Amino acid sequence: MNPNLVYRVSGSIAVILLLAIPLASSEMGGLGPLVLSSYFMHLAITGFFYAILASSWSLLAGYAGQFSFGHMAFMAIGGYATGLIGKFIRFTTAPSELCTDIPLPGSWWLVILNIRRVGTIDESCLDMAKTQTLPAGTLIVFPPVWASIAMGLVFGAIFGLLVGWLVLRLRSTYLALFTIGFSEILRAAISAEIPVTEGQSGLELVPLFPAGLLGFSSTSKIPPYYAMLLLFILAMALMSWLASSRFGLFIRAIREDEEAAAALGVNIVRFKVLVFVITSTIAAAAGALQAHYIGIITPNTLIILQMSLVIAMAVIGGLENIYAASVGAIVITFVLELLRTSVSIGPIEIDMTLWRLVFFGILLMLTLRFQRNGLLFPILERISRGGVAKETVSIRTETDEEFADLEDPDTDGPDAESSREQPERTADTENAET
Amino acid sequence: MENAAIFGWALLWILFWGALGGVVTPRIYARKDLEISQASFGGAVIGAALGPLSLFPLWVATPKITNRLIGIGIALVVGLFVAAFALADPDNLCVVNGSFVVSQLTNGIVIGIIYGLMALGLTLIFSILGVVSFAHGEFYMIGGMVTYFITARWLPGVSPFIAILGSCIVTFAIGYVFERLFLRPMGSGKIERPTEYAILVTFGLAFFLQYFTQALTSAVPVKAQRFFPFPRTEIPADSGALLSMTPGNITILDAISVPNPRFTAAVLALIMLAALLWFLFRTWVGKALRAVSQDRQAAAVTGINPDTMNTLAFSLGAMLAGLSGASLVQVFSWLPQVGIPAAARSFVIVVLGGMGSLPGAFLGGLIVGLVEAAGTGCIPDATRAASYMPAYGMVILTLVLLLKPTGLFGREL
Repeated sequence: MNPNLVYRVSGSIAVILLLAIPLASSEMGGLGPLVLSSYFMHLAITGFFYAILASSWSLLAGYAGQFSFGHMAFMAIGGYATGLIGKFIRFTTAPSELCTDIPLPGSWWLVILNIRRVGTIDESCLDMAKTQTLPAGTLIVFPPVWASIAMGLVFGAIFGLLVGWLVLRLRSTYLALFTIGFSEILRAAISAEIPVTEGQSGLELVPLFPAGLLGFSSTSKIPPYYAMLLLFILAMALMSWLASSRFGLFIRAIREDEEAAAALGVNIVRFKVLVFVITSTIAAAAGALQAHYIGIITPNTLIILQMSLVIAMAVIGGLENIYAASVGAIVITFVLELLRTSVSIGPIEIDMTLWRLVFFGILLMLTLRFQRNGLLFPILERISRGGVAKETVSIRTETDEEFADLEDPDTDGPDAESSREQPERTADTENAET
Repeated sequence: MENAAIFGWALLWILFWGALGGVVTPRIYARKDLEISQASFGGAVIGAALGPLSLFPLWVATPKITNRLIGIGIALVVGLFVAAFALADPDNLCVVNGSFVVSQLTNGIVIGIIYGLMALGLTLIFSILGVVSFAHGEFYMIGGMVTYFITARWLPGVSPFIAILGSCIVTFAIGYVFERLFLRPMGSGKIERPTEYAILVTFGLAFFLQYFTQALTSAVPVKAQRFFPFPRTEIPADSGALLSMTPGNITILDAISVPNPRFTAAVLALIMLAALLWFLFRTWVGKALRAVSQDRQAAAVTGINPDTMNTLAFSLGAMLAGLSGASLVQVFSWLPQVGIPAAARSFVIVVLGGMGSLPGAFLGGLIVGLVEAAGTGCIPDATRAASYMPAYGMVILTLVLLLKPTGLFGREL
């Protein structure tokens, strides 16, 4: 069977299934005997969130060969950008005069709130303005959620551009070194700047749909489910288009051999920065959406544990394939939850909340060492080939034989065979392309 | 800060002329067909130092940019920075109190020696395996944990030397096993794209070690007792003007005050450093290690087994990180997460000193120690200054990556 067709069919089935899952949720009354709790829906949303992160990281690391340990930092930049916009920006129909007012067209004003000092009962300037300067009946409007999420994306892209421009001129190890420090600094800064970011206690955000959507309340899991699924599908569509285009070819060439790619005319720095900015922006988008869904964002979201989890998901799923990485992320999200319960062996009770991470650390190392393509990728590959395994391998052995023949002209039997085969195969590939 | 504006303008001046010098100088040198390898860095430093006063003469005369010229430039930039700071904040403890400054600098050097020891392990691994170990911070953490558990829990009252020896053995053994199982196959060509593999697998080791330790010890901060409390002495006997010691502190000349744990840690680090240098330069195995780092093939021809040297270098590097952790567990409180900022700091040091350069790592350690001491001592808001501790190193890293990615003595990655 044509692999492309299998990919399309299995992909569409997966998308339809994912779209249909909320029908079985407890909020919708369930589908016959199948009733999915809102806890399950929460896990599914978290799974999509990690799937976006893991697949975008696999585009960066697996396709382009650039190892960033700051992916969660860009996720947090997205989340904090939208959170801070929600905290400090309002739209009013009259100037507050006490805050920083920026006039907008159509008799609206953009009001930037002041930073309140910690430990004082210092009112925000808008609260004071309400009683003092603002005329009665003035509308005060929060910035729309979609707009602040979009600003989160913009900030993710800007930071991605700065970091990428600084580090990606150099070898890929420098990126790994720099991004670890970058995410540590960002965490330190967020924890320290309490008046702005609320520090460790976390920045609260408005819900994704403050007024609810289509009859669902603002706490319902179904609209966020579809929002996150939509972002997931959009991100996957964008990334698979990129991966299969010339762009994908270039970044894989850079991964294999930077000098050779540069010699063949690929502007390697530009493409490295471009893929870094794109994946950072995708991470920021996921972070912004997740922050609004959870309703709070804390600096603990960007500790190295979170980054290690994303890496483990991508590697165990299959680092060099964005689909495998995303499936790996969803599977591991559920497995991690299942492993949360404590186990008691005899008198000893083992707290699995930590040991499951130890287990994943070992699994990550073993996967890297013995199954470089990941644990899920071979399965996906087998499905997409319609059960025909080892296709590429057989072609590769033939080519090896050809090379062996070229080096060793004495053997005549296989030589004749391969020269007879060669035109056939080129004809085949031409057919496949047209 | 009273006159923050002065400081801000000075910083802006340095940045503007530095950037201009860094961008324009190499073009001018290239147009005149001169060597441009140092032009960008030199131009940036000279521009940042004196601005137009030095840049225009540089562009007109285009002298050869020597290390001495760059050194003078760096000294001038630092001087300008300090002067601006002193003008902007005249009441700061760093400006008013000379003995505080000297103490702070001494403490910076003392802690810098230990940072240098840890970075030495990282650079040793890099120079021989060509691998940056992202688990370096975890070896540091385990070294401290083992020392704490031996001195405080398992064998209370035992000599700290035994505990330090124990942490050496544990970190060496973990490094040995890991190298044999996961890094050895890289040499035999069994693994595609070894650099990427090494980054990920050492990161996986870090992930595993950190949570393994946390699962075993729980996440409560611990801190070891002082290893060697000072005897109470005063020289001269009545006033202590030259030297006065209490169990927890040493004061020299009534001005320089160093806490006991830092002092002993630095002395331990210096002893270990001497031992390491003796090992690397005076023993056959040490010479073999350096030979492999210079030329693998040639070393193999003369009968050195490079694979054995890889294992040895990785285990030794891990042990050095463990040693610095073991000597610092009496200084800082210890958690399974302490390795991450320490590792980030080591990365800064090795990039600053030059990847794979042993003297560079040591000098880099001293510089980072000094900058951190100056940062924590001089920034007006003390709590904020402490929480931005990792940021000082990152500022250095950013500057190095911008201006001179090969570092002080380095070869490129």
